[in-house]
Amino acid sequence: MVSAVRNRTYRRRIDGIMNYSIETENLNLWYGDFQALIDVSVRIRDGQITSLIGPSGCGKSTLLRCFNRVNERYGNVTTKGKIEILGKNIYDTDVSLPELRKAVGMVFQRPNPLPISVYENILFGLRIHSPIRSMTRTESDQIVEEALTSVFLWEDLKDKLKVRATSLQLEQQQKLCIARLLPLKPKIILMDEPCSALDAKGTLAVEELMEALAGTYTFLIVTHNMAQARRVSTECIYMFLGELIEHRETQALFETPQHPKTADYVQMRYG
Amino acid sequence: MIRSELRKKIALQGGAVIIVGAVFVFFWNDLRKTAVVHIQTSSTSRISGILPSLISDLNLILPISLLAVLSGVVCAFYLEEWCPATSWIRGFIGSQVNFLTEIPSLLYGLLAIMVLFSDPGVLKEIGALSPAQNVNESGVEVALFERNTLVFYAETLIFILMAMPIAIKTTQEALRSVATPIRESTYVLGATQWQVLTKQVVPLAFPKILAGGCRSMSRALAAAALLIGIHIPSHTPGPRGIPDRFVLFLGGALLLSTISSFLTVESGTHK
Repeated sequence: MVSAVRNRTYRRRIDGIMNYSIETENLNLWYGDFQALIDVSVRIRDGQITSLIGPSGCGKSTLLRCFNRVNERYGNVTTKGKIEILGKNIYDTDVSLPELRKAVGMVFQRPNPLPISVYENILFGLRIHSPIRSMTRTESDQIVEEALTSVFLWEDLKDKLKVRATSLQLEQQQKLCIARLLPLKPKIILMDEPCSALDAKGTLAVEELMEALAGTYTFLIVTHNMAQARRVSTECIYMFLGELIEHRETQALFETPQHPKTADYVQMRYG
Repeated sequence: MIRSELRKKIALQGGAVIIVGAVFVFFWNDLRKTAVVHIQTSSTSRISGILPSLISDLNLILPISLLAVLSGVVCAFYLEEWCPATSWIRGFIGSQVNFLTEIPSLLYGLLAIMVLFSDPGVLKEIGALSPAQNVNESGVEVALFERNTLVFYAETLIFILMAMPIAIKTTQEALRSVATPIRESTYVLGATQWQVLTKQVVPLAFPKILAGGCRSMSRALAAAALLIGIHIPSHTPGPRGIPDRFVLFLGGALLLSTISSFLTVESGTHK
C-alpha cells in the first residue's frame, strides 16, 4: 500500500476510531462456478487473536487468503465485495501487492522455510523490499537477533545461523516462518492451521509465542482444533458452507452459541 | 553458501573435469598429430586426428545451443510462469512437444534429406555438388554429401527442431520441480513474480535446466552419429572411415550425457 494509507491509518489511530484491522463487506468469491464465500461481512479487531473455525471446505482458508490476495494467484477466481485492511480497500487500483503482503504476513500449515540458511531466511523479506547492499553487516546481525529473540529461538539457534533452515526441527521451522515476517514490521499475521504439523509440545510453543506477540500484531488463525481456538483466541468466527454463521467472543461462542449450527459444531454433534 | 554443500559441488564438478581431462589425455597423440603437426585437416585417416570431427561436433553444438536450447528455455519459462493455465497455447505447444520428443531421432535426419534434398538436380543448380561428385566411374549419378556445407547446415536445422522440444520439456520439468511451498512463501513475503523467479526458482532449477540443455544436445549428436550410416554430417574433410566419426559423435553425446547426469544429481541436493 502507498504511504498515504499509513498516514491515514495513523490518523485514525490517534483519533481513537481505529478499532478494526480488517473489515469486509458482502464479500463473495467464486472458484470458477463454485461459490466458496457467500456475503461475508466481518470485522477483525486490532491487536487481538481471532480464530476462524468450521468444518473442512467451509471457506476459512479461502477467506484468510483473501486478505493478502494470494487467492488471485490460482487463476479462475472471481471476487466481489469490499475488503478494507488498515482502513484501505485492498482492491483499489493504487494498492501495490508487495506492500500489501509486507503489511499482512502469512504462516502456512506446513512450515515452509526457504532452502537457504537460517540467517538468510530472516533477512529474505527485507532484502526483496530494499535496494541491494543497503544493510550493513552489523545492522543485519542485529535484525536477525531481534527477530529470533522475539520468537524465543535465539538461544537455540544462535550457533546455527548458517545451518540450512529446512534441516531444523518442525517446531523451530514454524517459529522461523513467523520470525522471518517480523523484520518487515507487518500489522497483521494470518495463520493457516499453523500447528497441524506439530506435536503437542510444538503446538504449545507456537501458542505461547502468539500470545506473547498479540497486541503488537493482529493475529487471524484458521484452526480445526477447537481446544486451540478456545485457548488462544479472544474472538472466534464460525463458518459453514461459505457463510459466516457467528462471530462473537470465544468464551461466549463456545458456551452459549446463538445459532443452532454453531451449537452443533462446538458441541461436536457435527464436523 | 553452506560449506558442506560447497564441498559436494566442488567434488562433483571436479569429477566431471577429471573425466573430460582423461578423454583429452587418451586422445592426446591424435590431437597433437592433427592440431600441431598436421594443422591442415586431412581426409587420410593415417595422418588425421580427431580435429575435423571435433570441429563437426562444435559445428553442431553451437547452433543447437544458441538457437534450440536458448529458445526452448525461454519458451518453457513463458509456458510455466506467464501463460495462463486455461490458455490454448499451453495445450497446443504441450501436445506438439510431447509428439516431437517421441519421434525417433533417426527419422529427423531422414526427413531432412527427403524434404530438402530429394532431387539431386536442385543441388546441381545451386552449385552445391560438382559434376565430378555427382557421377561415379560407371556414369551413374550419385549424391556425395561429404564435403557439402549446405547439407550439413540443413541437417543442423533439423537437429535444432529436434533438440528444442527436449529443451522445452526438461526446462518445464525443472521449473515444476521447485516445490509450490517455496514459491508461496516467497510470494507472501511480498516478492514480485520476477523476484520469485530470480531469487528462488531459477537458482533451484538451474542445474536441471543445464542438464536438460546437455540432454537435448547429446540427443542431436547421437542422431548425427546414426546418420553417418546414410551420409556424413560433416563439412570438414576428415577420416573417411565410418567408425572413426561414429565414435566421435557418440563420444560427444556420451560426454554431454555424463555432464547432464552430474547436474541432475547435484540439483537433487537442493531439495
